[in-house]
Amino acid sequence: MRDDNQTRRLIKEAEQAMLQQYTRRHFLKDGAMGFGALALGSLLGNCWGNSGSKKLFDAANPLAARPPMFPGKAKSVIYLHMAGAPSQLELFSYKPELAKLDGLDCPPSLLEGKKFAFIRGVPKMLGPQAVFKQRGESGLWLSDNLPHLATVADDIAMLNAVTTEQFNHAPAQLLMHTGSARLGRPSIGSWVTYGMGTENNNLPGFVVLTSGGNNPDAGKSVWGSGFLPSVYQGVQCRSEGDPVLFIKDPKGMDRDLRKASIDAINKVNQEQYSEYNDPETLSRIAQYEMAYKMQISVPDVMNINDEPQYIHEMYGTQPGKTSFANNVLLARKLVEKGVRFVQLFDWGWDTHGDSAGNAVDIGLINKCRKVDRPITALLLDLKQRGLLDETLVVWGTEFGRTPMQENREGKKMPFKGRDHHAAAFNMWMAGGGIKGGTSYGVTDEIGYNIVSGKTEAYDIQATILNQLGFDHEKLTYESQGRNFRLTDLSGKVIKDILA
Amino acid sequence: MVVLALNATEFIGRFHPILVHLPIGILILAVLFIALSLKEQFSYLKDAIGITLFLGMLSAIASCISGYLLSQSESYDPGLIFKHQWFAIALAASSIVLYVLHLMQKRLTWTAGLMAILLLITGHLGGSITHGSDFLFKESSAKNSKVKNENKPIANIQDGAAYATLIQPIFESKCIACHGLEKQKAKLRLDGPASILKGGEGGAAIVAGQAEQSALMKRILLAKDNKEHMPPAEKPQLTKEEIDIVEWWINGGASFDRKVSDIQQTDKIKRVFKSLSTDHSNDEVSLVDVPEASVSKASESAIQKLRERGITVVPVAQNSNYLLVNYVAIEAFTAKDLKLLQAINDQLIWLKLPNIALTDESIDELNQLTNLTRLYVQKTNLTDQGIAKLAKLSNLQYLNLSGTKATAKGVASISGLKNLRHLYLYQTAITDDELKKIRLELPKTNVDGGGYQVPKIEWDTAVSRAPIIK
Repeated sequence: MRDDNQTRRLIKEAEQAMLQQYTRRHFLKDGAMGFGALALGSLLGNCWGNSGSKKLFDAANPLAARPPMFPGKAKSVIYLHMAGAPSQLELFSYKPELAKLDGLDCPPSLLEGKKFAFIRGVPKMLGPQAVFKQRGESGLWLSDNLPHLATVADDIAMLNAVTTEQFNHAPAQLLMHTGSARLGRPSIGSWVTYGMGTENNNLPGFVVLTSGGNNPDAGKSVWGSGFLPSVYQGVQCRSEGDPVLFIKDPKGMDRDLRKASIDAINKVNQEQYSEYNDPETLSRIAQYEMAYKMQISVPDVMNINDEPQYIHEMYGTQPGKTSFANNVLLARKLVEKGVRFVQLFDWGWDTHGDSAGNAVDIGLINKCRKVDRPITALLLDLKQRGLLDETLVVWGTEFGRTPMQENREGKKMPFKGRDHHAAAFNMWMAGGGIKGGTSYGVTDEIGYNIVSGKTEAYDIQATILNQLGFDHEKLTYESQGRNFRLTDLSGKVIKDILA
Repeated sequence: MVVLALNATEFIGRFHPILVHLPIGILILAVLFIALSLKEQFSYLKDAIGITLFLGMLSAIASCISGYLLSQSESYDPGLIFKHQWFAIALAASSIVLYVLHLMQKRLTWTAGLMAILLLITGHLGGSITHGSDFLFKESSAKNSKVKNENKPIANIQDGAAYATLIQPIFESKCIACHGLEKQKAKLRLDGPASILKGGEGGAAIVAGQAEQSALMKRILLAKDNKEHMPPAEKPQLTKEEIDIVEWWINGGASFDRKVSDIQQTDKIKRVFKSLSTDHSNDEVSLVDVPEASVSKASESAIQKLRERGITVVPVAQNSNYLLVNYVAIEAFTAKDLKLLQAINDQLIWLKLPNIALTDESIDELNQLTNLTRLYVQKTNLTDQGIAKLAKLSNLQYLNLSGTKATAKGVASISGLKNLRHLYLYQTAITDDELKKIRLELPKTNVDGGGYQVPKIEWDTAVSRAPIIK
């Protein structure tokens, strides 16, 4: 009798909970507005061409491989970001005229109306602190700070005139990776996995690896999914210890029990979904299932111990440590396994000259030693495995550095360093249908401003999407009542560097 | 400078390209009204004929005046100008006559017909002056300009005459539209040796041997926003390579008959030539990855069966029925899993079978995949026996055999694959000498044997430190 009462009460509560969802407001909104919108939608349907954004997202299987808009040359991307902004004037940008100005006061014409992160008053010009040579058949100028990369110069397309609006690390990194200097937009890896899913559903489509001791200044938003379903955010893996934290089952829980508990959770979520129809619930179900599969597949792919010794020597890797080299080797392994987008961040390139480690003639060179070999090895290794043609490798950063020596608070710095410089810097691409041995863009004689071939973050993003088979203007997602895209309202594909 | 020198007459003259459209439109309308008003149902149009004719007449006269002023300030083909000018004057006169006839309430039809014919001829001549006399009948301009703008690969650059193979095509695509026979801006023509040497209003265009002294080169090198820059900012510009070539040619004496190889070549120009030459034996050729022929949609149930096995199946593009299939995520692969592909024989063009327990026997299942252009069988147990079976896949462009048991013998058995452009043989038993032979046998194929190394150098292990200050 008592049980019966309790049951009845519970049912009643449940009914009321259901009814609360269907208030008068809901009725009016779903009814009136819904029908109105339906009518309007069918009237205007053909005017708003981009209604495709909803179709792309299959909530039950959000990472399933999807066809690109046109057959792209590249199938995956490895994006190497040097966080902190290495000096282009000591690596890629050969400026003999700047050497002649070394030690002279910066002319006022370069300072008028300009804002710098740290430079105050009148700084001195700082000549190139590296020796440059022309490399390969293409004659690309590279400094002696990248002796290994110099041997593969003919595989690289150099962008000489990249420019940004941001001269602080975090917003500049966000702009480069999300198309906006403010928080909240999806990162390029998220857009790509949203657009084309991944070919190996045992692994995440978008993996992030960091090195150099810190995450990039912009934090995890720089691989976030913004307003895209959260399943598209980058999955950060570690190259030391467990690749993903808590990936092992706890003591006393075997694999069958884990499977049973995930099935139970998913069942509850499925019921929740049939009630509320929130696609995020389906994403959550997919993520649980993927997490279960990843418990086996990720430790397997993230293990570099089984690579032969000559590969370790080629990349300069040391298993068990966190290093950029290890991450680069992992990136190759992940791409081999069908992962769509691998994003590397290496922190520690912010060469202000405030310490020896941050000097363009000391610390910068030591940093170069840690990346030059693995990056060169990556290009060669992808090539011999027949993967370079379909893997787009992007080397980038958030901005460049000034041709003037930094004089923080107007004082002479203990070491040679350069301040943040947004107006002109270098990036490069290779593989994935990019024409090696080309270069695009010209800067003035001291690398201060762009003369031609202006390249913005949006242009780089548009080019990456183009190589994967997407028109950057059409890969959109509706949020807050309008269609958004990675390149916002700008962006043009850099056709000069395409094969 | 230019702005100041621009006097009133020149300024008025430049309105000619806008003004000419008025008499064309208005006079056609007048002729139309005259013709229609003959019919009873349109008789009310009679009232509009007067004002239309009057406006048409005024605009025709204004066009004549502005046109005359324009012809005085710019250089065009004098023959065309002469005809255009006199037909235009005849047209204006006929419009005046027509208006007078209208005022006198006389019959207009015959005069109107004559005027319409004059209008057509004058308009066409005017168009020929601005767009070139072959504009109407030449191939579509988009197609044309594409061919011109691209650096067309040239076979045997070194053996050709420098002017004919390199310089003339540049001038033709970028200069002679304004500096040719029909239009001769600044009295400069670049359409032949004699006229190039003659120069223009400002004197010689080129100083042989001294590119930096040559007016032509100076104007090309000026900043694009400079008024003196050539070609004008809104016209197609010379590419960097083209500028390098013109500079090299002038510095080499601006000869019209010497061969390329006879003129001294810097490293810079050698690189430019290399990028222009057709000798890219290892480059991607114009084979398309995706066949142009369309194909029917693959059966949805066949695709579903593959997907249930953990095999990725995806169209190569949204509007294509051709498929990419990847076995990378399959668990417990057996030969049966390849049988599933038979249902999508026609659609399958890219097949990835990396690192799975593929056997020589199971390759038989791929026999029917005749549309296959890319095949990845790296890190499998395939031997020469299985590889020989791939010879049937005649459309293969990309074959990845790295990490298989392939030997030179096996590779020889597929040398009949005439479309093969990329062959990967990394981590096979094939020696360097054998690779050289294979490359000779497959001259169009980029044969990659891998085994690249990044040599150890002293720099790698050195550490840069701050100098010790006492």
